[in-house]
Amino acid sequence: MTEKMHPIAPNPPRKALLLHRQMQRVWSDLPGWRGAVCSVNHSTIGLRFMATSFLFFAIGGVLAMLIRAQLATRDGAFLDTQLYNQIFTMHGSIMMFLFAIPMLEGLSMWLLPKILGSRDMAFPRLGALGYWCYLFGGLIILSSLLFGVAPDGGWFMYVPLSGKTYTPGINADVWLLGVTFVEISAVAAAVEIIVTILRLRAAGMALTRMPLMGWYMLGTAAMMLVGFPPLILGSILLELERAFDWPFFDILRGGDPLLWQHLFWLFGHPEVYIIFLPAAGVLSTIIPVFARTRIMGYGAIVAAIVGLVFLSFGLWVHHMFTVGIPHMALAFFSAASALVAVPTSVQIFAWIGTMWAGRVELRLPMLHVIGFFVTFVMGGLTGVMVAMVPFNWQAHDTHFVVAHLHYVLVGGFVFPMMAGITYWMPMISGRFRVRALGEAAFWLIFLGFHGTFFVMHLTGLLGMPRRIDRYPDNPEWEWLNLVSSIGGMVMSVGFALFVLDIAMQWLFGRRSHRNPWKANTLDWAMALPAPPYNFSSLPSPGRDDATAILPLARGEGLLPGAPRPRREVLVTDAGTGRPDHVAVVPGNTALPIWTAAALGSFFLLMLAGLYVVTPLAIAAILWAGWRWGGFMGSRADAPDIPVAPGLSLPEHWQVRQTLAYSGTVTLLVADGTLYASLLFGVAFLTVIAPNWPAPDSGLGLGALLTAGAALLAMALATLAARLAETWRATPSGMGAALAGVLAAGLALVLLGGLAMLLDDPRRHARDALRAVLLGYAVFHAVVALMLGLRSLCDARQGRTSHQRRGAAPVWQLFQAFWLATSALSLGVVALQEIG
Amino acid sequence: MLWVARMLAGPMLWGALFSAVYGLHGLGCALDWPDRATPFGPLHPGGMILLWLVGLGLHGLLIALNRAGGSDRQNLLVRSGNWIGAVASAVTLLPVIVTSSCG
Repeated sequence: MTEKMHPIAPNPPRKALLLHRQMQRVWSDLPGWRGAVCSVNHSTIGLRFMATSFLFFAIGGVLAMLIRAQLATRDGAFLDTQLYNQIFTMHGSIMMFLFAIPMLEGLSMWLLPKILGSRDMAFPRLGALGYWCYLFGGLIILSSLLFGVAPDGGWFMYVPLSGKTYTPGINADVWLLGVTFVEISAVAAAVEIIVTILRLRAAGMALTRMPLMGWYMLGTAAMMLVGFPPLILGSILLELERAFDWPFFDILRGGDPLLWQHLFWLFGHPEVYIIFLPAAGVLSTIIPVFARTRIMGYGAIVAAIVGLVFLSFGLWVHHMFTVGIPHMALAFFSAASALVAVPTSVQIFAWIGTMWAGRVELRLPMLHVIGFFVTFVMGGLTGVMVAMVPFNWQAHDTHFVVAHLHYVLVGGFVFPMMAGITYWMPMISGRFRVRALGEAAFWLIFLGFHGTFFVMHLTGLLGMPRRIDRYPDNPEWEWLNLVSSIGGMVMSVGFALFVLDIAMQWLFGRRSHRNPWKANTLDWAMALPAPPYNFSSLPSPGRDDATAILPLARGEGLLPGAPRPRREVLVTDAGTGRPDHVAVVPGNTALPIWTAAALGSFFLLMLAGLYVVTPLAIAAILWAGWRWGGFMGSRADAPDIPVAPGLSLPEHWQVRQTLAYSGTVTLLVADGTLYASLLFGVAFLTVIAPNWPAPDSGLGLGALLTAGAALLAMALATLAARLAETWRATPSGMGAALAGVLAAGLALVLLGGLAMLLDDPRRHARDALRAVLLGYAVFHAVVALMLGLRSLCDARQGRTSHQRRGAAPVWQLFQAFWLATSALSLGVVALQEIG
Repeated sequence: MLWVARMLAGPMLWGALFSAVYGLHGLGCALDWPDRATPFGPLHPGGMILLWLVGLGLHGLLIALNRAGGSDRQNLLVRSGNWIGAVASAVTLLPVIVTSSCG
């Protein structure tokens, strides 16, 4: 049964302007350049993400035009082959990693707190860190193009082409390290989005009443959490092979190039849905507004999202249909690929039904929605075609696939994003747009797109392969390519007009009144442009739509104003939305940019091959990580905070289920997925790769005893972490924390000793995988040790009491995870030894 | 939040079953199971079919357990999740009875 929320009495009304000034003082960015580097506010960070991603989109678009210029004629002499390889690789990589993912991250960061009724994201500093990692990683990748060492192995970097033998320069390293750096941003965003949706919704907003955008972003973030770790692992393994000759993908030494393909597409196919789901969220938000009705089939759409999230992880092999996989495995993935069309269709029909039931106003955002329908449905239909194995074998690696993926990605992401931008621009800029320019941009983009890619299906069916820069012996492809190139240029002009339209609106548009589209979602229950704090008082049950704008501005909602000069948000129960406690989130700080710089220095040193110096960068990362925890905790118990008449709630350091705790659990899901991917790698190479069994192992009784002792020390540290929390109000708590730190330190030393006993990782893939399993345990040892030290400091500095637990609950989580994965790793090695 | 877990149980069971059958398929091909006979037929397809049927039985159990309940949105989502998992398992693993193992 649905748990009903009791009504909460409203706070007495106050002067809205006074509340606004009070909130501005606490929530605004710092002025000048300090604001540029210290802001952690979700609106600022979200807009930066979107603006930067659009800049990368423009760069990727210019690269696409270079490709089209080269292919316009069969003997194109515009680019040489080497540069052409770099350009198509960079085009794909930029569009996927530096445009699409950051764009959706930016949109969700900017929008989610507004539409869910919160003042900020759950972890503002994490959002800022993600942005700086994205920017620095993106610049590293982009600068390689200027120096002529850009990645050139295709956006999916298949081995052996991207291995040291065929790519001896740093081109592939740029991709592997740069993309991994950017992926930190994606995983950080996923954690932040999930916790924000589950814990920061408006009071009384049960999951079953949440705006559909929340469900879509929850599904997207869950997929990012599980989809990105396989690629991160793949990138780490390939970089280890390239840098240190650990043979994960070298057939002669027990590796297999197919392992890369599996790890890449375990990420790569869900990526399509990671991109599509937020766009579908935009559509589900916009369509009812312009159809002047409610969305049709809320429950069916949520069920379709759940279906898509899961099924999308059972499709990855359909990108590998031609590599020689047994028929039955092909059939599994072909069936799953066809099945995934069902939940997608459910959504399409729900949107069509909504428009049918309402009265559609064909305003500019709806034009882009129509563009989506036409384009995406065509892409979906060709998707079903390529999901069928016999057709796939024919169309594989031809321009038919290029056309299909552009129909899906541009139809399923770019058109909806343009709809979203034009829809939310009044909230961003506080202004109306200039008439007609946007419509002209839409038609140029729409016609240009179909002019480019519709004929590309035919080019592909005529047999033109992807990634060739000339086709002198195939004059029959020339006119089709010329049409595509002309279409591409038209589309570019359209995008330029789109940007001009946005700029004109920002600079010269007339002031927009509140809620210009007459939408009913909470994001429009605020003044325009949206203030940095979103709501002077937070929505309460029954007051969580756009009509609540005035009561919320007058402070009649929950937690009104900022009587304490700090950023306070209301944390609610994940399922019911019942108010749980008040969290204080960090304000302006430069720590995220310093942390990103420390991480960036590590990646740059790796890229430069200066491995000896990397410990310095690791030390800088540890220093930044330590500083990160300084904000948390309190030296005194505080009285409950009045939220509404008759409702007072504790501060977050006086409860156990904090945002940090939820965030750690979420992060460990990603961590566990990375570990599971590693175990998949071990199983795959053991079972599938040639040149197994591996040579005799040199591991003996000494290694077994050392590993056993390390496990025992980990178990003791886990127990001590538990006791440190249980005894937190007594002096024994500090003793337990100290014992836990010592035990974790001992385990780290023992793991270091175990490294000396391993076989040479360069000898065989099995030995290399064992070294990675050990490295994984060592990494977690360092994290657990730092959390233990933080708990010890909490106890020493009086930041624990009967009510305050400090970092101990999070430390326990990491300890338990470290112990479990290490025990499993030991079991895997033991099985290999026995087998 | 228990209802969310009940809703996700079906798709998660599909994920586990899909991984198990796919894993068993790879393992069987590597260990030459298609050549091994049992009283009930070849070991490899037999093992996969048995696993699939057990999984379908578990899906049926989930559906039966969650059949009762109101018609509100939570219960609708729980039942939808259960059926999504069951249909996905039935369709995506159907090839175990119609296709040769390792060819």
